[in-house]
Amino acid sequence: MDALNFVFPNDLHVHWSMMIVLYPYLTGLVDGSFIVAALYYVFGVKSLKPISRFSLVFAFAFLSCAMFPLLMHLGRPERNHNMMITPSPTSAMSGAGFIFTVAIILIGLILLLVYRPTFVKLRLKSKGIMNILYRVLTMDSTNLSPESLELDRKIIKFLVAIGIPVATVLHGYVGFLFGGVKANPSWSTPLMPVIFLFSACVSGISALVLAYIVIKKLRNQPVDLGCVRTCINILAGFFILAFSFEMLEVFSHSYLRTWYHHAVEGLLNGPLFYSFWVWQVGICSVLPLLLLGWLCLFKMKASVFKFFAATVSIILLLQVLLMRWNVVIGGQLMSKSTRGYTQFHPEWFDKEGIITVIVLMSLPFIVLFMLSKIFPLWLEEEKASS
Amino acid sequence: MGEPEAKLDKERRAFIKKVLNGTIAGSLLLVIPMPMGAATPEVPEQIPGIRGKKWDMFDQRFAFIVDITRCIGCGSCCVADRREFNVPDGYYRTWVERYLKDFDDEVYVDSPHGGFDGYQSPRTDIEVEVRDTFFVPKLCNMCKEPPCVQVCPVGATFKTPDGFVLVDRERCVGCAYCIQACPYSARYLDPVTRTAEKCTWCYHRVRKGLLPACVTVCPTGARKFGDLNDKNSEVYKLLHEHEVLTVLKKDMGTYPALYYKGLRREVV
Amino acid sequence: MKSSYNSHIKRIVLGLLIFAVVGFVAKMVLTPKSFGKYGPYRADAIDEEANQEIRHMTNASCLSCHPYEANIHLTGLHKTISCEFCHGPYADHVKAGKVYGKLPVKKKEEIKVLCLRCHNKAIQARPGEVIKTVIMPEHLEEQKVKVSHTCDQCHHVHAPLKYINRAKKIVGIKEKS
Repeated sequence: MDALNFVFPNDLHVHWSMMIVLYPYLTGLVDGSFIVAALYYVFGVKSLKPISRFSLVFAFAFLSCAMFPLLMHLGRPERNHNMMITPSPTSAMSGAGFIFTVAIILIGLILLLVYRPTFVKLRLKSKGIMNILYRVLTMDSTNLSPESLELDRKIIKFLVAIGIPVATVLHGYVGFLFGGVKANPSWSTPLMPVIFLFSACVSGISALVLAYIVIKKLRNQPVDLGCVRTCINILAGFFILAFSFEMLEVFSHSYLRTWYHHAVEGLLNGPLFYSFWVWQVGICSVLPLLLLGWLCLFKMKASVFKFFAATVSIILLLQVLLMRWNVVIGGQLMSKSTRGYTQFHPEWFDKEGIITVIVLMSLPFIVLFMLSKIFPLWLEEEKASS
Repeated sequence: MGEPEAKLDKERRAFIKKVLNGTIAGSLLLVIPMPMGAATPEVPEQIPGIRGKKWDMFDQRFAFIVDITRCIGCGSCCVADRREFNVPDGYYRTWVERYLKDFDDEVYVDSPHGGFDGYQSPRTDIEVEVRDTFFVPKLCNMCKEPPCVQVCPVGATFKTPDGFVLVDRERCVGCAYCIQACPYSARYLDPVTRTAEKCTWCYHRVRKGLLPACVTVCPTGARKFGDLNDKNSEVYKLLHEHEVLTVLKKDMGTYPALYYKGLRREVV
Repeated sequence: MKSSYNSHIKRIVLGLLIFAVVGFVAKMVLTPKSFGKYGPYRADAIDEEANQEIRHMTNASCLSCHPYEANIHLTGLHKTISCEFCHGPYADHVKAGKVYGKLPVKKKEEIKVLCLRCHNKAIQARPGEVIKTVIMPEHLEEQKVKVSHTCDQCHHVHAPLKYINRAKKIVGIKEKS
């Protein structure tokens, strides 16, 4: 160990580990896919119609699992309800439970209303448990009169419109959790919520594009190229914003050269050099930026476009994960003594270990699969079957 | 050992036996929680004016002063603290840092085992000539604007009206946000209770008129604690006379009630 | 059930209302009684903290039962050293009945370790006006005793200069200033 390295005795342990990396990652995916739904339902981007319902189910599946990493992280998970029973008015974190509850109710309601006509049809066709389930999900109403559907349409538009600030708060607030910690110079910046928000949109849209292309490929169904193209254009826009703010944060501080810079400089150029500069910035940001430019500006064969759209999505999903890692774990590697760095070694079988990460990451996909049995994901299938 | 001394030794043992048998019941009373303000005859009051009256929650002002010019790095405070609270190994309510400075003004800091074993030998991992060296004890700063209290989502850490930042072990969810928020890294997550823990300035002792354990055991008076409402207390005098006192990380805007006398610029 | 064009919306709103009421009642029921007395926290936690077991007492409390040691300890330079630092906390001693608090280190060489925690001159950060420090084994050589000597062979651990002052008195050496 370097003789100059000094870490406060209580800073040797990294308290927020992979679970706290995972949590913003999952809510980020929710946010991004909700943005796609919002673009369709509120802003009327018609080309997104093929994935409009899928994006909602996707958001719901991930949101329903987003709290598990937090519960795994808590020292006393059985007391988690204290967050909502005695929320501290001064804490940024005490809003977590409320914002999460509002978000999941909101997306749930939007889903129910969007799917109501489908459910009514399915209810008439199904038997047994599924029949009861669809009766519950349609609130026991079979009324599909034009008047009723028009009411639903208005309410959906209204709810999605409310959903935009809710989704923004859901994720911007996660950024604020970090941005509000003045004790950690690599976190305490007002730009943190903005960076988190835009990178959330990037990850969510990438995940949708990737899931759409992969699921369609697996099912041997055609991909709506116009839809993917729109997604990639939006993705490019959000990624330019996300990456610009990430770099703005680093470069403005390195120009201001306050103590903040002197504290963080050693971190970014030392323990985080590979995971930040090489991987997050170089391989996972500059490369997809070039690819996105090419995909957006040039014409190419559909198969090539699909392949690179999926590739870019994978790289960007990795970029956002790395960004979360570098912020959450990277930020804690620096001791508050500003004189040294601790180390983080992920364990396999720890409560917050790699196995847990794998389980928690596959959980939303299992939920998504189960939901797809109840919520028909694709419009064309529904038309074909009816 | 001489003849008379051996005799004395014998007498002493007999005496102790007698005393122990006679007073053990009385002594036990001391360790059982006493009603507020109850007098403890065996233990003289260390902070005058606390016993024998009702504790006024809204009229208390305490300060802690660490005089680093007197700290010899013996680690008594760390030992006492660990024993007083049965702190698990590897976690620190208080610790002592050693600062070394060479002739190029390079600063080397270490705190092996938080200074628990004392500093018995010079550092062997550096080969420079040491120009200057000193010890800095660290503990909770009892901020007037504590970031840990601000961020606690469930109100499990709080600032009492009498000025102590405490943890409610029954409500803490163990999110560790307070640990992130503390600029002084004075907090940790207890591996047994899985809740946040920190130095309390021995609130349980102060309420009974005793000094914090680390202050009690400090052989050189490097740690001082006292009542600022008492104009005769050492801390009152230090804070109101011409002493140069500083706080740690002033720019954090936390307004600590822990002051350092003779603090050096190298210390963070 | 017959449903009008907006009956599902009515049912959703009703469901949300019930959810809100249940949530509110749960919050009321589960909030601890003393919560909010002084601020957004449980005021009883203050008393719980105040009633924690006191494990260390003071030297006065130890010496009230050990007058022989008191006689020596309070007259020597080590009078500021806490009994409990070497002998263990008061609470443990009292609880264990006749079992004496044990020294963390004892016998032979180990006593040096205990003494040098404070008196090692090699750790430069020990101002002379605060503590007397020595370099080992130079100190033993200077005093012309065997280097295998342990500290307590010359220095009484409770009053370091007890024997030395007595010896000086007997021999009639005056302290060099």
